[in-house]
Amino acid sequence: MVKSKETKKTKYLNPYLGGVLLGIVLLAANFVAGRGLGASGAIKSTVVTAMTTVAPSSAEKSGFVKEFRESHTGNPMKTWLVFEMLGVIVGGFLSGAFAGRLKFKVEHSPKITSRKRLLLALGGGVLFGFGSQLGRGCTSGSALSGMAVLSLGGFITMMAIFGTAYVLAYFFRKNWI
Amino acid sequence: MKPLRLLALFIIPMGLIIAAVPQNKTKPYKLTAEELLGEVNTRTQYVTPDAVADMIIKKDPSLRLIDVRSQDEFEKFSLPGAINIPATDLLSDQYADILNQDIKMNIFYSNGTLTANEAWMITRQLGFNNNYVLEGGLNYWFDAILNPQKPASTSPDEEFAKYDFRKSAGLALGGGATMQTSQDQSATSSKPVIKPAAKKKKAAGGC
Amino acid sequence: MGPLAINEIISENTNLFLAFIIGIGFGFVLEQSGFSSSRKLAGVFYGYDTVVLKVFFTAAITAMLGLLFFSLFGWIDLKLVYINPTYLTSAIVGGIIMGAGFIMGGYCPGTSFCGASIGKLDAFVFIGGLFIGVFIFGIGYNLWDGMYLAKFLGSPKISETLGLTDGVFAFLLIIMALAMFWVAEWAEKKFPREEY
Repeated sequence: MVKSKETKKTKYLNPYLGGVLLGIVLLAANFVAGRGLGASGAIKSTVVTAMTTVAPSSAEKSGFVKEFRESHTGNPMKTWLVFEMLGVIVGGFLSGAFAGRLKFKVEHSPKITSRKRLLLALGGGVLFGFGSQLGRGCTSGSALSGMAVLSLGGFITMMAIFGTAYVLAYFFRKNWI
Repeated sequence: MKPLRLLALFIIPMGLIIAAVPQNKTKPYKLTAEELLGEVNTRTQYVTPDAVADMIIKKDPSLRLIDVRSQDEFEKFSLPGAINIPATDLLSDQYADILNQDIKMNIFYSNGTLTANEAWMITRQLGFNNNYVLEGGLNYWFDAILNPQKPASTSPDEEFAKYDFRKSAGLALGGGATMQTSQDQSATSSKPVIKPAAKKKKAAGGC
Repeated sequence: MGPLAINEIISENTNLFLAFIIGIGFGFVLEQSGFSSSRKLAGVFYGYDTVVLKVFFTAAITAMLGLLFFSLFGWIDLKLVYINPTYLTSAIVGGIIMGAGFIMGGYCPGTSFCGASIGKLDAFVFIGGLFIGVFIFGIGYNLWDGMYLAKFLGSPKISETLGLTDGVFAFLLIIMALAMFWVAEWAEKKFPREEY
């Protein structure tokens, strides 16, 4: 038991050290590009590209595509966030490889089946995808980056995300503990 | 030492420092001397009196004339609609919003071009856009707009168009030209195209 | 000096290359901190593992202090840094929907890519869900663009709204965060859970 505790301790970075390092990455993003980190923006770029490729005529009419075009010029895939997210995949893979965590698996509480876990993950993904568009950014783009630049909206979104998750935590407790 | 204590040991003093120091409001120089020299050499800051006269007559809402002479001189004579920012007060906080903005086209003028140019150069070095200088200053304005000289009969048509425009502009602006007017629209052909400087792009956001 | 890309000190392509490098750093730190595990992430809502809270707030504070000090030294012009605009209604409603998605799915978009990169199948499914969610938003945009654009407040800083200077607000946030960390460490002792 003692031994397993020790291995667990060395497994992950100390959270405060991880936080400081993440803060330095965020600071670097602001210093280089004048903007914070993000994740859902890359998904938005991909969806816009898919919409304009599959159904160009109806996509042009969509207010969603128009709104995207107003703030971005050129190829929607050649944006900062798309490149940044490609880096995230590479960085995550490298870290997992160093720590020996590369493994295909479904992570879930022993109280539920993998199937249920995957269905909930899908549902959560749909909600998060939708919410990130409505809220103009996800936890990284709106809440974390917004807080770093003291944006009022960033703090509001952060409180809404964590507040709601805490309120709903009781109903989903079986999935996690 | 516990990691939380270690973290607290670092960020509390840093927080105290940042809370105690005043916010950085200094304006570092934005343009290097080379960049500024380049702009001076291409004379991008000048706007001709004809263009200014045309904007005054058309009541162009984007025009803002700024008289950089002393208050005494300003009160004796000024161009229509001009505001007075004496060159000595140029860096005063109360004028910051006027000089550093992206909407209006500020045109400095003085008797000659010297003081106006100085004002332009200082604001330009601070990175402000949309500030210009009236070419030739008020002295040339009197010659060109208020007392235009009839061009020689051999001059090209454009010279006559320019003359007609100046004469009518001079009349409209209270000058001394008293000859018959020909209010033809050819005036516009002599108007140089002025494009306000492009707004500096901001980082695209959106996660 | 900074931001480099906006002051055109580096070219557009260099900027994109640096985005890739910064992304690698982002992904690496997320994975090293354990953000690739949904059960670790969800732990913050039950008190058994508060790594999310600690990393998230430490990162926000580090970057915030960094930006304020950089501005103090004249290394970065904060006026040119993108400040997220505030649309009150959509920030709250969007945040609530995201919170529900968080507790259901166990990931947020950034961490799901991180989890997927080390082979978490639930993260792949979550990413699939993200695409569907964004697509639904795009298809039905006209149905909710009223809400999307409602209550626009510009891009205010929270410090301005509260009438504080940036520095004083930063200090208060630090004190608040340290208090939260202290509570979080207490909760981890109270609700220990080794097996996950």
